[in-house]
Amino acid sequence: MAAIETTGLTKTYGELTAVDDLDLTIEDGEVFGFLGPNGAGKSTTINMLLDFARPTSGSATVLGYDAQDDADEISPRVGVLPEGFDVYPRLSGRRHLEFAIETKAATDDPEAILERVGLSAEDAARPAGDYSKGMRQRLATGMALVDDPDLLIMDEPSSGLDPHGIREMQELVRAEADRGTTVFFSSHILEHVEAVCDRIGVLNEGRLVAVDTIDGLRESIGGGATMELVLADAADGHLETARGVAGVTDVAAAGQTLECSIADPAAKATIVTALDDAGATIRDLQIDDVSLESLFTTLTNGGGEIEGQSADETANPAAAKSEAAE
Amino acid sequence: MTDHITTVARKEFEDAGRSKLLWALTGLLVGLVIVGYVAIWYTVDDVTAAEVLGFIALPLQTIIPIAALIVGYMAVVGERRSGSIKLLLGLPPNRTDVVFGKLLGRMAVVATAVALAFVVALVLGAVLFGSVPFVDWLAFGAISILFGVSFAGLAVGVSAGVSTRGKSMAIVVGLYMLVLALWELVTAGPYYLIYGEGPPVEAETWYLFVDQFNPITTYTTLVGNVVEGEVFPFMFQYGLEDFEASGMTPAERYAGDAPFYLQDWFGLVVLLCWLVVPVAIGYYRFTKTDL
Repeated sequence: MAAIETTGLTKTYGELTAVDDLDLTIEDGEVFGFLGPNGAGKSTTINMLLDFARPTSGSATVLGYDAQDDADEISPRVGVLPEGFDVYPRLSGRRHLEFAIETKAATDDPEAILERVGLSAEDAARPAGDYSKGMRQRLATGMALVDDPDLLIMDEPSSGLDPHGIREMQELVRAEADRGTTVFFSSHILEHVEAVCDRIGVLNEGRLVAVDTIDGLRESIGGGATMELVLADAADGHLETARGVAGVTDVAAAGQTLECSIADPAAKATIVTALDDAGATIRDLQIDDVSLESLFTTLTNGGGEIEGQSADETANPAAAKSEAAE
Repeated sequence: MTDHITTVARKEFEDAGRSKLLWALTGLLVGLVIVGYVAIWYTVDDVTAAEVLGFIALPLQTIIPIAALIVGYMAVVGERRSGSIKLLLGLPPNRTDVVFGKLLGRMAVVATAVALAFVVALVLGAVLFGSVPFVDWLAFGAISILFGVSFAGLAVGVSAGVSTRGKSMAIVVGLYMLVLALWELVTAGPYYLIYGEGPPVEAETWYLFVDQFNPITTYTTLVGNVVEGEVFPFMFQYGLEDFEASGMTPAERYAGDAPFYLQDWFGLVVLLCWLVVPVAIGYYRFTKTDL
């Protein structure tokens, strides 16, 4: 049975089509990353799965139940970490968990859940209104984990978390998957998804532009990489040598630096020996695997601007994360 | 499902119990009773606890609706705007549980605040005026709680039916202004246009029927039945209606035996309407909307 299945799922707001004819199947037990830039329609899709919003056309089932007609069957079996939620500021963190336990008629121990999501007993005793964004995220995650759901739906779970928190979140997702829970989570940052997902789907402007395993996606971009070589003398003179190597698709020279685009991984070593044979002295060498990030950028129709941004993100993960925190 | 309604209601009640605003409103109600009682004790000789009880209906008819509207008008829409409703609906409670759980929770809050004020009134009556008019007190208290609960329901209904806090506040304030300040214009105004004169004491039956739907006059009519002395509605007047009529109940204005829908007890139905109709509309709209 599919954990989630959407058929021609469409949502329009006036002129704007937020989700456009989405056909998506998430298998039981898999960890599925739902990827796309902000505004791609990820949250709208999730809102329709949870009956927060009603589709304009098409339908969705969650755990075999119709998302609209049988919503009451779905909610006790699903753990939800919504996007753009807030806590009850005057109630303690512990009271939030107790409320979740009560509504699910579960027998969970609040202490155990607090520990799983990394909230201390002192934190739990405080009013949740005093919590930071990250702590609220942890609290809501804890509420989602109550009663060991069959399916976890998490909308941007890493938002508000620091790098350490994101790692913990990823571990938690993996642990849930190991317990047999299907996990469906969205993100606009690929690296948060690729570490834990069996499959990812990329959404752009309401349309699904790719669905594949991480390996499948890597294969589709040909395991490409760029190699940067710093030479002892001007790089111009060695352009032809590098171009002559099989598996090299493009070479550019700038000062003493030679930049090679590589399609076949084996070409990397060949370039080095070829340049050495040609009498060049290699001072330094750097290899960048073409990341899924750039594929993501291509799929989501980024163009130069976003490409530059994604390069920044690769160069400065902290900046990327602080952006995620917003 | 009922389980979820009570779970949500208890959470609401607990949450409201930590609200400073709510304590301020309760303090206002209790304070009003204390000030009223002490002032009468100080200035008026020869007055019984039962008569004093009747006096406090005057301020309560204004304060209870305001307090109840404040308690209720953000109930659903506030959660919608902050996003906590997503946390709530992500759990097993559904939209029905949310609306009715909140309704029960907020009604309980208002009922508690009013009850507290009445307990203080009973104690002060015994201490300062030396008697306990228990039956009057119980009936007056029950009517006041129903009055407060109706306004709380009205506000919760509005809060469920709109998408922004501003709209909820505008509608709630508008409705309060309607019953307090504009009622005569919207009921006696058309009467004047139709008949060329304002409603006399013995006005047409349809007018008496419509006019009694003002929850504030309904409250004073009902309270007037259970306490000693007259209880006048405190409302804006424009002189369209015969001045003599303003202190009279629909049954008193009807020539002969009033039909059931003009009798005083019908006021209970009126108050229930102010509770049920807005909740029904708000609930319907809330179940249809995208959050």
